[in-house]
Amino acid sequence: MDDTQIQNINNTNTFLSFQLGKELFALNVSKVLTILEMKPITKVPNSPEYLRGVINLRGNVLPVIDMRIKFGMSATEFTTNTCIIVLSVEIEGETIQLGILVDSVDSVIEIKDTEIEESPTIGTKYKVEFIQGMYHLEDGFIMLLNIDLIFSNDELMIAQEVETNASVSNSEK
Amino acid sequence: MGKRILIVDDSESIREVVSFTLENAGHEVLKGVDGQDALKFLDGSKLDLIITDLHMPVMDGIEFIKNVRAKADYQFIPILFLTTESQTQKKMEAKDAGATGWIIKPFVPEKLLAAIEKVVR
Amino acid sequence: MEKFREKFIEEANDLINELEKVLLALENQPKNPDLIQQIFRVMHSLKGGSAMFGFTKMDKFTHHLESIYDLIRNSKLEINNDILNITLASVDHLRSLLQEKDDEDTKNKVQNDLLVAKIQEIINENVMAESNGKTIQPMEQRQNKEHATYYLNFKPHANIFNFGTNPLYLIDELCDLGQYKVFPRFDHLPGIDELDATKCFIYWDIFLATNQGINAISEVFIFADDQCDLKVQKISEFNLLDENTFIGIIEESVRSHKEIDLDQMMLLTHDLEKIYEKEKEPQAQTKSGGASADTSISSIRVSSQKLDDLINWVSELVTIQARLSLFAQENDSAELSAISEEVEKISRRLRDDVFGIRLIPIETMLTRFQRLVRELSQELDKEVVFKTEGTETELDKNIIEMLADPLMHIIRNSLDHGIESAEERKILGKPKKSIILLKAFYSGANVVIQISDDGRGIDPEKIKNYAIAKGLIGAEAELTKSEAFDLLFLPGFSTAQKVTKVSGRGVGMDVVKRKITEIRGEVEIDSEINKGTVLTIKLPLTLSIIDGLLVQMSDTKFIIPLSSVDKCYEFKHKVLENAINNLIRTDEKEVAFLNLRQMFQIEGTPPETEHVVVVQFGTAKIGLSVDTIIGQYQAVLKPLGRLYKKQNSVSGATILGDGTVALVLDTNKLISQYATNEIKIGG
Repeated sequence: MDDTQIQNINNTNTFLSFQLGKELFALNVSKVLTILEMKPITKVPNSPEYLRGVINLRGNVLPVIDMRIKFGMSATEFTTNTCIIVLSVEIEGETIQLGILVDSVDSVIEIKDTEIEESPTIGTKYKVEFIQGMYHLEDGFIMLLNIDLIFSNDELMIAQEVETNASVSNSEK
Repeated sequence: MGKRILIVDDSESIREVVSFTLENAGHEVLKGVDGQDALKFLDGSKLDLIITDLHMPVMDGIEFIKNVRAKADYQFIPILFLTTESQTQKKMEAKDAGATGWIIKPFVPEKLLAAIEKVVR
Repeated sequence: MEKFREKFIEEANDLINELEKVLLALENQPKNPDLIQQIFRVMHSLKGGSAMFGFTKMDKFTHHLESIYDLIRNSKLEINNDILNITLASVDHLRSLLQEKDDEDTKNKVQNDLLVAKIQEIINENVMAESNGKTIQPMEQRQNKEHATYYLNFKPHANIFNFGTNPLYLIDELCDLGQYKVFPRFDHLPGIDELDATKCFIYWDIFLATNQGINAISEVFIFADDQCDLKVQKISEFNLLDENTFIGIIEESVRSHKEIDLDQMMLLTHDLEKIYEKEKEPQAQTKSGGASADTSISSIRVSSQKLDDLINWVSELVTIQARLSLFAQENDSAELSAISEEVEKISRRLRDDVFGIRLIPIETMLTRFQRLVRELSQELDKEVVFKTEGTETELDKNIIEMLADPLMHIIRNSLDHGIESAEERKILGKPKKSIILLKAFYSGANVVIQISDDGRGIDPEKIKNYAIAKGLIGAEAELTKSEAFDLLFLPGFSTAQKVTKVSGRGVGMDVVKRKITEIRGEVEIDSEINKGTVLTIKLPLTLSIIDGLLVQMSDTKFIIPLSSVDKCYEFKHKVLENAINNLIRTDEKEVAFLNLRQMFQIEGTPPETEHVVVVQFGTAKIGLSVDTIIGQYQAVLKPLGRLYKKQNSVSGATILGDGTVALVLDTNKLISQYATNEIKIGG
C-alpha cells in the first residue's frame, strides 16, 4: 500500500497544497488539523475584512480567515470546492487554532528538502519572508508558506505593496 | 445434505450475509442478535453448528460459548467464531471457553463454506 | 449484496456516531481502558463490515487509525489532544467515505491523505521517542518485514480424529503463511495388524519461512494443542528455504530417518547466517501494558481539574438542552415540549448547583491584602486599619484568582495617595487611625466588592483640569462628577503629582479597569473631598454561562446579556427611521437608541416591524434596535480568541442549538464606544 509509506525519512516533509485563484500554495501538514466543508460563517461586526467570521468547530469557536484577501486578491466567493483548512499555528508563543478559507484543496505531497528552491527575491507578488520556498511542478510551481509568520501579525498583508505612492499621498491629508 | 446452523451477530448486515450464503448452500439457518438472544435456540433441538461473533453487547461471544458448553445437549457441537481480531489472546480466550475454530472477517462466501466444511461432516 | 450494503451503511452510521461519543468521553477520561476497548470494538466492526461490503477506502483508513489505538492499548502511547483531534477529524472523514459514490471526490482524497500522513506522523514520533533504540513499527510495516525460518515438529496424538480435527487442514493452514517444506514421517507406524484407521500414527517435520511471526504459527494450532505435541523453533532470521545448501542438508537428514537434531540445525543455520551480510531487521517490541494501580479515594476533596471537567459537561448539557428546546418548538408535540421544559428546569438547577461548587469565599484572598496594608503602612509611616465586611460572599474561583492583582493595586493606591499623612490628619481633625474597608455583598446576579478609605478624596475639578492639560478631553467639555472620575481609568492617566516608590512599581488604573473588564466586571469610583474614596467593583457570579436574550439581524444572531436588559418594545421600521436625534417614546419617556444594523454594517433590508431592546447603561437607559427577538437563552460563553482581541462590542460567542454561532454583545462597551459620537445620553 503506497499510502502507508508516508514517512519522515531524513528530510522529507509532507505538505498540503491548495489553490487561491490560479496559484498553488502549500503548507506543512504538521500545522493542519483537518479540512472542513464550507459551513455558515458568522461575521463579527466591525472586524477587518480578512476575518470572515467564526464557525462552530466541535463546540468551540473557530475564527476563519479569508486567505484570498490576505494574499491581496478579491474576497472568496463560495463554490462547491471552497474549503476551510483548520490550522494550529503559533503566534507569539501561543498556539491557536484557526481556519483558512481557500478556493480548493489540491493534494498531499511529499517534498524533500533538496527539492525546495529558494523563492526569487524580486519579481514575486508576495513578501519573501512568508514564502519558505518554491517547489517546481511539471507545469508550474507551488509556493510553500511559512504559516506561523503569516499570522504572527494581524495587520500584515502578504502581498507586496506595489503602489507605495498611494499610502504616502493619503497621509498628507 | 443441509445442516441446521445458528448464527449469532449483533451486526444485521453480517448476519444477513452469512445466512444468505448458508441458505444458498442448502443449510437451515437460525439467527440470534447477541449471546443472550441466541440462547433461546438451545432448547435441546438438533443443531449442527454455531457461528458466533465475539464482540457483542449484552452477552459477548465468549460468555455465550461458555453458556453453550454448559448445556449437556450441546457439549460437543462445533462452534466457530467470527472475528476481525487477529490477536492470539482473543482466540485463546474463545478456545478456552470451548470454541472449535474461527473465521476471520472479511470473508468471501466460498471461504465461509470451506471453513464450515472443515468442522461439519 | 446491494441489500446488505445498505444495511451496513445504516449500521456503520450508528458505529461512527458511537465512536464519536466515546471519543468525547475519552477526552475527559483519557486513561479509561473500557473506553479504549470500546473504540477498538467499534473500529473492528467498521473494518470488518467495510471490508465485507466493498468499502475499501474505509477499510484501509480504519486500519491506519487502529494502529494508533493499538499503541495506546499496549501503553506505548498516551491519549493526547493531537490524537483526539485527529481521531475526531477521522470520524468526520469516515462519514464522508461512507457516503462517497464511485466517482472520486478530491476533497475526500486530500482529507484522506492528510489524515493518513498525520496518523503516520504520530506513529513516527512515537517511534523516535523510544529511547532504547528499538523501534515499533505500525502494523502494516510489521508484516512487511523479512521472512524468518522456523522448524516445526508436529506430532498429533493417536486419537486426534476423535476431536474432529484433521491434521492435514492444520498443515494446509500453516502453509498459507509462507514458503514451506513438509516432511511426513512414518517411522512410528505400527505393524499392519495393529493399524487402526481411526487413529493417527503419522507425524510431520515442517520447515516454514514466513514474515508473520511465531504467533501466527502458534495460532494455527490453538485448537489442537491438547491433541498433539508441537515443537516450534525459529532457526534463522532469514529465509533459508531459498538456500539450496540448506534444503539439501535437511532433505538428507530426513532421508536418513533420523529425528532432526535441533542443536545441530542451529549450528548449521548460524554458519549460513554469517554468509548473509544483511543487517538484522529490528524486532517488533512487545511489552505488556502494566495494569494501572488501583487507587481508592477515601476523601471527598475534589481536584479543581475535576470541577472544570464537570463544568464543561454541564456547559455541554446546557448546549444540548438548547437543541432539544429548539427541536421541541419545531415539532409541535405537547409531550415533547413538556419533557423539554422539564429537562430545561433540571439542567438549569444542575448548572446552578455545579457552578456553586466552584464558588469560594472572598475571605480566601484576604491574607495578602492584610500583609500589604501592614507592611506598606509602616513603610509610609501611616496608621491604617484594614477592615473587612461580608467576606463570606462567594465568587467563582477563576474570578477570585483574576481579581487579586487589581485589588492589590487599588489598596496600594489607597494607602499611597488616598490616606493622608498623620500630620495632615491631625490638622484636619480626623482620627489618627485611618480605615480601609473591603466590603462584599450580593446584588442580584452580581457580587459587589467595595474598597473605601477615609482619606483625602479626589477632586473632580483637578482631574478635569489635568485631563484637559494632557489633551485627553477638550477644554470646553462638560462633565458630571462620575464622568470626571471615569477619566481616571483612561490609559496614561495618573493624578499622582510625584511618582512615589509605591505607585512607581504599580500599574495604572487603566490596567485595573482592563483586568476587571476581562472577567466581565465593572468598576466605578466615587469620592468626596476630605471624606474619602469608594471604589465599587461589580462582578458576575460566574464566567461560563450567562442568561441572555437571543436576537437576530439578517442572518446573524446575537445575545444580549439579560442582566442589562430593561424592557423590549416593538416599533415600525418607519418610526425608527424617522426618529429625530435617535430618540423614541416608550412608556411616556424619551429613550435614545442605537441602530445596531447600521453600526454593525449588516447587509439586507430590515423587516417592517423592528424591535428595540432597552438596556441599562450606567444610570441611563439606551435602546438597541434589532430585527427580531427570538427569546431567552442560556449561553455558554466561548472566547472569540486573540484574532478578535481588538473587537470591543462583542465579548464572546456561543453555540446555538442548531450548531450555528451567536455573538454575545457587551452592551456597556458597545454603547460607550458609540455614545459620544452618535447620541447624547440622557440622565
